[in-house]
Amino acid sequence: MVNFDRFSLDNGLRVIVHKDTSTPLVSVNLLYNVGSKHEDSNKTGFAHLFEHLMFGGSVNIPNYDEPIERASGENNAFTSSDITNYYITLPLSNIETAFWLESDRMLSLAFSQQSLDVQKSVVIEEFNQRYLNEPYGDVWLLLRPLAYKVHSYQWPTIGKEPAHISSANLDDVKNFFYANYAPNNAILCIAGNVETDYIKELSEKWFGSIPKRCIVRPDINKEPQQTQQRRLEVKRKVPFNSLYIAFHMCNKLHPDYPATDLLSDILSNGKSSRFFQSLVKRQQLFNSIDAFISGDIDEGLFVITGRPADGVSLVQAEEAVFLELKQISQQTVDNYELSKVKNRFESTFTFGLTSTTEKALNLCYNELLGDANLLNLTIKRYNEVTAADIKRVASKLFTEQNSSVLHYIAENI
Amino acid sequence: MTFRNQAPSLKLQNNFQFAPPQTYIMANGCKLLVVSQGDVDVCRVDLVFNAGSRYQTQRLVANGTFSLMSEGTAKHTSQQISEHFDYWGSFTGFGADKDYAKATAFSLTKHLDQTLDMMQEILTMPIYPVDELNEWKRRSKQSLTVEMEKASTKSRIGFFNALYGEGHPYGAFAVPTDFELIEQDSLIGYHKQFVGSKNCTVVLSGRVTDAHIAKVQSVFGNHSWGDASETSVSQLSEQQVKGQSIFIEKADALQSSIRVGRPLFTRSHPDYPDLAIVNTILGGYFGSRLMKNIREEKGYTYGIGSYIVTLKDSGALVISTEVGEQYTQQTMLEITKEIERLQNEPVGQDELLRVQSYLMGEALRSINGPFAIADNVLSLFYFNNLNYEFFNGMVNSIKAITPNRVMEIANKWLKVDDFVHCVVAKSNPF
Repeated sequence: MVNFDRFSLDNGLRVIVHKDTSTPLVSVNLLYNVGSKHEDSNKTGFAHLFEHLMFGGSVNIPNYDEPIERASGENNAFTSSDITNYYITLPLSNIETAFWLESDRMLSLAFSQQSLDVQKSVVIEEFNQRYLNEPYGDVWLLLRPLAYKVHSYQWPTIGKEPAHISSANLDDVKNFFYANYAPNNAILCIAGNVETDYIKELSEKWFGSIPKRCIVRPDINKEPQQTQQRRLEVKRKVPFNSLYIAFHMCNKLHPDYPATDLLSDILSNGKSSRFFQSLVKRQQLFNSIDAFISGDIDEGLFVITGRPADGVSLVQAEEAVFLELKQISQQTVDNYELSKVKNRFESTFTFGLTSTTEKALNLCYNELLGDANLLNLTIKRYNEVTAADIKRVASKLFTEQNSSVLHYIAENI
Repeated sequence: MTFRNQAPSLKLQNNFQFAPPQTYIMANGCKLLVVSQGDVDVCRVDLVFNAGSRYQTQRLVANGTFSLMSEGTAKHTSQQISEHFDYWGSFTGFGADKDYAKATAFSLTKHLDQTLDMMQEILTMPIYPVDELNEWKRRSKQSLTVEMEKASTKSRIGFFNALYGEGHPYGAFAVPTDFELIEQDSLIGYHKQFVGSKNCTVVLSGRVTDAHIAKVQSVFGNHSWGDASETSVSQLSEQQVKGQSIFIEKADALQSSIRVGRPLFTRSHPDYPDLAIVNTILGGYFGSRLMKNIREEKGYTYGIGSYIVTLKDSGALVISTEVGEQYTQQTMLEITKEIERLQNEPVGQDELLRVQSYLMGEALRSINGPFAIADNVLSLFYFNNLNYEFFNGMVNSIKAITPNRVMEIANKWLKVDDFVHCVVAKSNPF
């Protein structure tokens, strides 16, 4: 149970306070409700580029990182399809430095041309390093547009292509800032040995005067139901063939979300899972295989990735996967198997809440979903899943017409 | 009125104190270290053996012995074992690095009994079934082949080959075909020689009570187990420093992978703490000189850093980055410039104070929570014979460092002529 207090400022900023007396450090987590799904389809990769620019100085403070370092702190950020999240861990006695810095960059950035030019180059190198210069690195650049035709999940957080990043100009940056960065589009959480009254005082002092802003961005189109299987074959200079299959699944708040997550665990979480025992060990058709859900807030993907064993074609490999999926869609899982994945989920979830950083992020994220207390209801929601739910969800998901299949073929190297 | 252009006042951190774990010598002579902390009902058990790859006579034997330990015992099959851990929500890891080998289990404290009973069986009676061995070879060979396609892997291997020599345990790396040569008997033999209570130290961390400690003692401490005697450790040879440039071609590389550095010393060396501080200034944190110059001013890379590698009988300084192909030579030039600047110009007070404050924060973060403390206990065990004063000494060095001492250390240990440069790229930059 993660206890918390919660209040809002007049400008719409939501603040959560979690008291943890076991540490001299405090975590300050600031989540903005903006991700790559909010981007214009001709200016992709912008939310992430913008995350980089948030470290390039704000209206009253020329440098963001140095004051944090002087305060014995450490900070970082990440961008996903749904959110951009900034976090700092520092000694409690220096907490006000975090409020000072975060509120100033929410007020306004410095909008420096030099910072924009350099960060465009840094992000293009990141694009190269993580997506283009690694074996199999471009998979998500291929799989997302195959699975999504309308929804903006069709491009990854890094963007569709480096050219979108290199063409960004300072006007784009300003527009993006005022359209997305605002107290009424953010959630702040403080986790550490703190009193709520003190955090109220600090929040009012530093964030209270920032005006509410009008959040303007393109509509996100709902992905229509897929009616036909989509297939793509690419050849790349990699050592082995790989198979990728994506199925459309429900959104994060849908009652079937926990069942879908547990379904992926039954198939591939842990060495006792079905895929590993059947496809890797007994039949020896794969050397590795994994099933996971994308975890997005809107309707996401259930993804299967696998690398066949030597001498096994991608066609054979794909058939074997669909056979496993057919089985779980037709036969009810027994109580033992269901209890196993529930136990394992509880353990993973509990291990994921051992630090103030993790607790602060998760409270913000659940508040964004509608209520920070959803975090405390998570295990209960998962424990309520029945074997019938698993079967029903599997048979709905695992149809040919709901699938996008990518054959990633190794060229001789 | 809020003055936004004025930083809030700061309190410097002075209150670092490393609290040693509770130490027990169990009935069989095996040492148990306990870090009891945390507000979540989870724990971790590490069993460490003096059994790293430095002791093997054939590549991959140490790793195979540990990786395959949980793939079948006298009582349970591989599948039954994984069913057991998965059912109780436990996570396990078995592996060997250069100096040590380790078996680890993460468990909900309420299921610690079930987790430990199976861990005991795995450690004391593995049988290394041939079909499991073959499957491991098949799968691991494929994943190593993929790994070795990466420019960053090629440059890391090329760099350490050059630093220590391919025949030295610290410079040797497995290649995919090595998997084919591993036989069941070698693994059984290695287990017999190295895994046992006489060669083991146990670390328990998390929100644990006396009952949990008693359980660990009953499973691993009451009786002598395993045939292994204490490993006789002979010091590995010192490395001669010699500058060299190595180029490895990768025709389709969009980025060049660069490793620059030199062999150094162990953590017991008197210059270690100050060198660690100099390393931080150079490339050890986001505000470091290399990050500022090469990423934040020039945009050549997504990231650049310098690290100190610590080994039982050695150490090394490594600067590591992946840069746009067109920036390769310029990056190496700037690395050299930054090192020479450390040697020739005193660090400004403002920068030094920033590094000191940052490192004090790092010290606090490194003891934040039971698992972070356990990691530190393990690293002390590995490299300092459990001398708990090490961290307090490190903190004293952080407080005492001066601009002159930084220059002195940079001149003594960071001579660019001594450095090995290894570059994996489309074309030769040397």
